[in-house]
Amino acid sequence: MPAPAKGSELRVKIGGEAGFGIKAAGQTLARSFVASGLEIFDLTEYPSLIRGGHNTYTLRVSPSAISSHVEAVDVLVALNRETIDLHLEELVDGGAIIYDPDDKENADWQAPERLLAVPVPLLSLAKDAGGPIMRNTVALGAVLALVGFPVDPLADGLRAQFAHKAPEIAEQNVAAATAGHEHAVEAAATFGITLEPVPDAPRRLLVDGNEAIGLGALAAGIGFYAAYPMTPASSLLHFMAAHERDAGVVVKHTEDEIAAMNMVVGAAFTGARAMCASAGGGFALMVEAFGMAGVSESAVVVGVFTRPGPATGLPTWTEQSDLRYVLHAAQGEFPRVVLAPGDRVDAFNLTWQAFNLADQLQTPVVILGDSYLSDNRQSVPYFDLDAVVVDRGKLVAEGDIAKHPDALGQSGEYLRYKLADYGVSVRALPGVKGATQLCNSYEHDEYGHGSAGEPAATRVAQNEKRMRKLELARNLVPRPAVFGAEAAEADVAVLFFGTTKGPVLEAIRWLEPDGVTVAAMQVVTLWPFPADDVAVFLGAAKRSIIIEGNYTGQLQGLVREQCLRDVDETLHRYDGRPFSPEQVYAKLKEVAGNA
Amino acid sequence: MPEVAEIQRALAPTWCPGCGNFNMQKALSEVLAESGMGFEEYAMVWGIGCHGNGADFYRSQGFHGLHGRALPLATGIALTNPDLKVIVEMGDGDGYGIGGNHFLHSVRRNIDMVAIFHNNQIYGLTTGQASPTSDQFMKTPSTPGGVVEEPVNPVGVAVAQGATFVARAFAGDVEHLKDLYRQALAHKGFAVVDVYQPCVTWNKINTFKWFRDRVYKLEELEGYDPTDRTAAFKLSMSTFHELTCAPDECKIPIGVFYREEDSFTYQDGLPQLDRPMWKRAVEPRDIGTILEKYE
Repeated sequence: MPAPAKGSELRVKIGGEAGFGIKAAGQTLARSFVASGLEIFDLTEYPSLIRGGHNTYTLRVSPSAISSHVEAVDVLVALNRETIDLHLEELVDGGAIIYDPDDKENADWQAPERLLAVPVPLLSLAKDAGGPIMRNTVALGAVLALVGFPVDPLADGLRAQFAHKAPEIAEQNVAAATAGHEHAVEAAATFGITLEPVPDAPRRLLVDGNEAIGLGALAAGIGFYAAYPMTPASSLLHFMAAHERDAGVVVKHTEDEIAAMNMVVGAAFTGARAMCASAGGGFALMVEAFGMAGVSESAVVVGVFTRPGPATGLPTWTEQSDLRYVLHAAQGEFPRVVLAPGDRVDAFNLTWQAFNLADQLQTPVVILGDSYLSDNRQSVPYFDLDAVVVDRGKLVAEGDIAKHPDALGQSGEYLRYKLADYGVSVRALPGVKGATQLCNSYEHDEYGHGSAGEPAATRVAQNEKRMRKLELARNLVPRPAVFGAEAAEADVAVLFFGTTKGPVLEAIRWLEPDGVTVAAMQVVTLWPFPADDVAVFLGAAKRSIIIEGNYTGQLQGLVREQCLRDVDETLHRYDGRPFSPEQVYAKLKEVAGNA
Repeated sequence: MPEVAEIQRALAPTWCPGCGNFNMQKALSEVLAESGMGFEEYAMVWGIGCHGNGADFYRSQGFHGLHGRALPLATGIALTNPDLKVIVEMGDGDGYGIGGNHFLHSVRRNIDMVAIFHNNQIYGLTTGQASPTSDQFMKTPSTPGGVVEEPVNPVGVAVAQGATFVARAFAGDVEHLKDLYRQALAHKGFAVVDVYQPCVTWNKINTFKWFRDRVYKLEELEGYDPTDRTAAFKLSMSTFHELTCAPDECKIPIGVFYREEDSFTYQDGLPQLDRPMWKRAVEPRDIGTILEKYE
């Protein structure tokens, strides 16, 4: 097995029907581990319904740094028989299965020799503690006992989880966890994985991608957020709405995504830092106004969080198939910036930077994510709040425009679209004395008049003015991030974007003991495309590969088009599941072997 | 304080001679001038259509947006700067057709703004196709056999959806129109003003004369109470007239159908909107306390 061997970390999978509270229970467990100084990465997989379908929650826990989920499972918690049937094969040899021996569906089932059977009467222990709903909590206690971990951190987590409910609820859950813990202590002796709290661990955060993006937006001073619910972006709407009063943000759940994008452009007009987000389907409705943001030179941030399409597609699963879509969305040509965070730290940093870029360039900035980023949690170093800066670009927010002669035309009148170096004009907000700016979705002259935008020379001047911003953007946007060895020294060089980062970083670590060296480049800014950096990286590589979660090779197409070169190998995935490090490891090893 | 001439100090209008938009611009710029508001105190938003070309003919800070999307664009402005009076201009196809969903939801939100609909019952800028308010059976290039649908009843929809100010006007009567604009500007809440504004080029049926022969003023209708919502809805049904009806068969009321004072506006529900929201982004927001929840 390429994955870390059994014993060095813990991989737990909890399975059951939707409605069993699997995700909430798993997240409580995750919080207790993080509170104890351990690193976690979780993965929630669920169908698009509220009750009845099969859900799983997978938690990876390690005393050392981890970057993604893994396929291997050490402990399977089967809240129903279906979980056993679907996931038994994922258990490593010597792995443990926690199941309810009293469940009639399990009557004819016997654990295979290679596994450690841990029968726990989940239902009856839950009932004794106060109710059948707490079966999952009993199981969590059993998991902790199996790895020799105390129950106290979980008890603290449960008390926090149920703090807003009647006090007896929390105590019943603590009793359920304790009962499960006591029941499994005996089995721990033969299991062989021991986790211990890490003393004096540095402060860390436990966030999913949408929380990281929301926190980045708050730090940047967002004043307006609008959205229509759509998985996987909905939780960002919930996050922003939860903080509308304490942080001072106007948050609007709109009638549709068309309204959301148009409202965001309106909010940007008054100088508010404004953002909307959706999945690709919702972004489809935003596209016309996204183009309006381009021609009207509006500073807006748009989150596009990919789920497999087209149309309704696979609502709760992940993919990286919207890259070309966001690069080309909307009719006509205008400058845009597209940033793709690879993990939750990237998500925080790129979001506050996106607001600065939107203001500096006065043009739309896209944060391209996916369900794998949005839905799943990761323990991360405390966000670097000291690094956050607010740069509003060429903005006059108040006062008299007469004090800004560079913003005026020859007649002394304020010109919203005055031709300027790098294409960025002085933006005077409504309310600035003497500046009656007119923003326009039509092509326009320097003042903003639509009918005056029709002469050929005006069109060319304004079009070139806008497109010049891309050259400015090249000096402002984050450059590609590189990991591992130098491309020239490595056995294989891998190019990727977005959340493939986690599995790639894992695979690089796993290949080290095998003597395979890897150079990796994450294209952080997809547009303007960093053609020079990518060309140098691939040019130095002995063997090169692009790994991306789509069928058509969208990043590969960009490389061919922008760098006039190709790679030796590709790895694609489009089954709705994220790349696993096991898969990336195997492929990189194969490519290195062919060198 | 800007004079009328200053408000109109922009490009010369390109509307067809005799277009109802001229009177609408005259009325609005005169009311804006007498309101005493400075250029910094209000913003205008336009959709796409002949009315929208007005963006070039006013001197005003504002935004000429997309077809059908003026209301959400204006909403973004109104919900991020409480110091601005927001005035939205739309057409009938623009506001009641492609933007119909936004109309419905803007009304029920009771956002504090003025929404003016240039209703000429035809698509002017795209050369005369049927609009959502074209009368049934009207023949146009897109409906050579006659419009099959009933027209949209904007006044009725607004009243039914809980609008707090609903008026209908006729661009042929500038003084009356000005009076309705004044009331709409003074109203706290979402003010709907549907203005019959004959298209002299493409609508040969609903002409200035056609309207002059049929309109009457609600303030002259004895016993009409504009605070009676049921009465307003009932009266709104007189929107529907036969294409060929004689003047005395289809009388068209103009004036304030309905008004509700001291209503709860969308902005009233936003205590965080206590300043222009750009002031929230002068320096990084301190999120230390919020971050602690994620430790």
